[in-house]
Amino acid sequence: MAMSNYQEMAIAKALNAGLRKAMQRDEKVLVFGEDVARLGGVFRVTEGLLDEFGDSRIFNSPIAESGIVGTAIGLAMRGYRSVAEIQFDGFVFPAFNQITTQLARLTYRSEGFQQMPVVIRIPVGGGIGAVEHHSESPEAYFAHTPGLRVVSPSNPNDAYWMIQQAIESPDPVIFLEPKRRYWQKGPVNLDTAPLPLHSARMLREGTDLTLIAHGPMVATALQAAELGAEEGISIEVIDLRSLSPVDYPTLLASVQKTSRVVIAQEAPNNVSLGSEIAARIAEQAYYYLEAPVIRVGGFDTPYPPAKLEEEYLPDADRILEAVDRVLAY
Amino acid sequence: MTPATEPMLQLLAPDGSYGVEKEYSRYGEVIDSLAEDQLKTFYRDMARIRRFDQEAIALQRQGQLGLWVPAIGQEAAQIGSGYAVGKNDHIFPSYREHGVAITHGVELMSILKMMRGVNHGGWNPEETRFHLYAIVLGSQVLHAVGYAMGVKLDGKVGTGDLDNDLAVISYFGDGATAEGDVSESLLFAAVNEAPIVFVIQNNQWAISSNIASQTKVPLYRRGEGFGVPGLRVDGNDVLACYAATKIHMDEAREGKGPYLLEALTYRIGAHTTSDDPTKYREEEEVEYWRQRDPIARFEVFLRRQGVDDDFFEEVAVAGDELAKDIREQTFALTKPPLESIFDNVYSDDHPEINAQRAWLRAYEDQMGGHE
Amino acid sequence: MSIAKFPLPDVGEGLTEAEIVSWRVSPGDKVAVNQTICEIETAKSVVELPCPFEGEVSELLVAEGDTVEVGTPIISVVVQGNAPLLSEPDAPANEPEGDTGAEYKLPNLVGYGDSGDVKSRRKRAVNTAPISTAIPVSMVKAAAASDAVMAKPPIRKLAKDLGVDLGNVTGTGMHGEITREDVVGSASQASVFKNLTTPQQPSEREERIPVKGVRKAIATAMVKSAFTAPHVSIFVDVDATRTMEYVKRLKSSVDFAGIKVTPLLIMAKAMIWAIRRNPMVNSTWTDKEIIVHNFVNLGIAAATPRGLIVPNIKDADSMNMLELAQAIEQLAATARDGKTTPEDMAEGTITITNIGVFGVDTGTPILNPGEVSIVALGSIRKKPWVVDDEIVVRQITTIGATFDHRVVDGDVASRFVQDVASVIEEPALLLD
Repeated sequence: MAMSNYQEMAIAKALNAGLRKAMQRDEKVLVFGEDVARLGGVFRVTEGLLDEFGDSRIFNSPIAESGIVGTAIGLAMRGYRSVAEIQFDGFVFPAFNQITTQLARLTYRSEGFQQMPVVIRIPVGGGIGAVEHHSESPEAYFAHTPGLRVVSPSNPNDAYWMIQQAIESPDPVIFLEPKRRYWQKGPVNLDTAPLPLHSARMLREGTDLTLIAHGPMVATALQAAELGAEEGISIEVIDLRSLSPVDYPTLLASVQKTSRVVIAQEAPNNVSLGSEIAARIAEQAYYYLEAPVIRVGGFDTPYPPAKLEEEYLPDADRILEAVDRVLAY
Repeated sequence: MTPATEPMLQLLAPDGSYGVEKEYSRYGEVIDSLAEDQLKTFYRDMARIRRFDQEAIALQRQGQLGLWVPAIGQEAAQIGSGYAVGKNDHIFPSYREHGVAITHGVELMSILKMMRGVNHGGWNPEETRFHLYAIVLGSQVLHAVGYAMGVKLDGKVGTGDLDNDLAVISYFGDGATAEGDVSESLLFAAVNEAPIVFVIQNNQWAISSNIASQTKVPLYRRGEGFGVPGLRVDGNDVLACYAATKIHMDEAREGKGPYLLEALTYRIGAHTTSDDPTKYREEEEVEYWRQRDPIARFEVFLRRQGVDDDFFEEVAVAGDELAKDIREQTFALTKPPLESIFDNVYSDDHPEINAQRAWLRAYEDQMGGHE
Repeated sequence: MSIAKFPLPDVGEGLTEAEIVSWRVSPGDKVAVNQTICEIETAKSVVELPCPFEGEVSELLVAEGDTVEVGTPIISVVVQGNAPLLSEPDAPANEPEGDTGAEYKLPNLVGYGDSGDVKSRRKRAVNTAPISTAIPVSMVKAAAASDAVMAKPPIRKLAKDLGVDLGNVTGTGMHGEITREDVVGSASQASVFKNLTTPQQPSEREERIPVKGVRKAIATAMVKSAFTAPHVSIFVDVDATRTMEYVKRLKSSVDFAGIKVTPLLIMAKAMIWAIRRNPMVNSTWTDKEIIVHNFVNLGIAAATPRGLIVPNIKDADSMNMLELAQAIEQLAATARDGKTTPEDMAEGTITITNIGVFGVDTGTPILNPGEVSIVALGSIRKKPWVVDDEIVVRQITTIGATFDHRVVDGDVASRFVQDVASVIEEPALLLD
């Protein structure tokens, strides 16, 4: 049996490698967006692709987010698989109309005649000391829209594989990349995908409580679990990976075991993805719960100026405060 | 309001007389090569689509449709341009292009079903090359541009092989030109030199907003700032519409880049059956444009070419039969199956959809079904 | 030939009514399809209505100036053949359109807008079991296999308050979950009787309760017993873990399904076994003679709202485990219902008092008049215990017993108590 081929990479590099593989595999895969070509993207995720594939496969778009998504739709109708980049989370909103009224609905509207294999890559989340509109967590808007799939890798291995799986999906995928983790390194198994695109994964086993997180919050959750262990609390950490659909069977199996749940997210708590997961767990695991499901998220304010973001974003301490509350029941 | 005099391509005057101005001679040449049968087809289809519109309005007033969107007055712009579209070209309509639809074999009942609430537009866009109706104004124009960009990437532009090459035609109205997506479309089309012709059917009213409030500059010049040249055409002149579309689609297909046509016409009817135009426009204006009716002027033209009463009677009879057939088919329409709510939300299998479909099935069983 | 009716349509996407402005036809007129028959005014505009049928006008059903609700028939027309179906069938048209007698009659047709009438199908529901999406079936199956405990949050709280370990409770709920009754039933060894609330401060400085009835009877018996027989009590701590395990097994066995099984049952059996080996404890003192009974009428002290009573199970020694369990249950139920008869309470030969239910470890019970022994079953708690020279957590209980020293000497008493304790420690002795 051959040993798996592992390579240590940062998330940004893993995405780059995954894009490369996808483009090599299928000549219909196109990559475009603002500054993705010669510059290689403001986070260098598309670096080097222009040299390998040429400017008919990877090209810059005008600064027109609605146009980027709208033309991606037209290209999909023509048989192309577009990987469109929106440069920052805060700038996805001009494209919101095309994403929700068109991209999410054309397969439904056409009764299956038109598939929409479009991936929209968006760097999301805070923690990089940026100015306004560069630290958003807009996943709830997209998870709420039927017809879209929404995923978010938290580590290099998932980044490498999930970008390829997203490109292979016949459905539109909103691909949320944790920008403050872009330079976080980890082993990438170059041979075998870890899981299907929409599976969640238990990253750390525990018995006292289930801690659910996604994207940039996963590392923080693991940190909280580590600190919790020192205090004698055994926390099971689950990486959602897929935000729509959510892998409820995996979550519920964990809840069955621990009976207590905390959900951690950067997004403001009110009407968040965490709210939906909490409601579903309460409905489907009612008999297993020892305590209410508690969400730890951003405050219900616009994202604050960078000097205050450390206190705004949930950190390990805020997560453990919620853990304490849940364990007190 | 009658628009200011701007240069406009017109081959057929409102009184039915035909004439080609020197600067438009190449358009005249296109018409010269048309056979009488083709001209009769133009007339027959214009009359057919008008009859269809009238019947659909009646059906709405009888409670058979939630809504109807009449194209009355715009028959020439639609039939003329529709027939000029090439055999591989793709068409991106908005929601009023019933005339273009019939030039490409889209069943009229398909359009009716959408207005009745049976589906959201259920014909096959690939087969007919006539894409689905778009209700979000201007949204489809970006799709058209993206499609044209794909055509270019496919290498199907400018090879000279008419079996291989294709162009895209994108329809939208005067009101839609205000939407940002239309501006972005012009931009993307220009910088990518996409093989696309934009056709603005300027029927001069966007529900109750007159064109004067939607633009400071005549719409055929809208593309100038983006690098897309344009031409105003008399939208009630089926021959001018045909010729202009033919020439500029050919050029787009040949790789000359995007072009914009403004078909100046008039919305004789209401925006939809929910609208009441008497509340915001004058009857004199409507009468002015009735005098410029596309079908009437073409009848005069054809009669002058020697087409006789028999033809016009045959067309009228065919129109009545079409109306009767539409009426009967409409009454026979059934409600779509309940579980089709869940069809095609995704192309791939989806656990939530499966679970909810199963739930509704169980719920309906429990409730004993519908009467 | 039939009559066709034209209901007022919603001509403007959500209109609910319109005014008939003018009729263009009269009864008797011939009408063609699409011929204008009237003008209506809606909230949005004035609209002409085209006739959907061809035929002869029979009746104008509403008048000019009337404001009519969408869906109300406005004209009837005599047509050839069948009246066209203006409402649309949900399925192919072989479904009969019957009148079910429900109020709502407006066909659900595009263009007829919101009727305002709500149609309910609930009474027609074929079966009323709710469609459970709450607990995925796979989870229910998994729960049966795993250690996971299924109980609603309020029940978990109750268990916590009563000191019940849910892991020891078998659930009898619809999905296998533990119910309130399961918890309360399981709390017999613990604190069903624990005060969960503090009563309100009384307003008077004292309350005077007349001595009568059951209270008077108890007092008389107690005095007679306590001041006639010399009472001596002895105690022994015993490891009851195996008894608890045995109880759990019995509870989940098919034979004992639906029957209350508690440590009291094992205690009763242990006493009967011990009595056989130490018959003197099962006797009665009269001044002339000591009557040793060769049968056991086992009294069980029962707390009722009116006071303590001691009904007994006649010939308890001839019962097998199942019969004894049923008898104990029956006795307790009868006592709770206040239906215990004097016969039930007469001719007891030995008594067991279960003070463990009150959460009490042990005590010095007073003899039931006519008997020479009474055994107190205390609470069973997890305590550290030495097993094979190691300290482990076991379920420990104290067996206390009081004897009439006129009949039972220390050695007999001790041997009897030890025998009971041996069974509690090792229920397999009962197989002897």
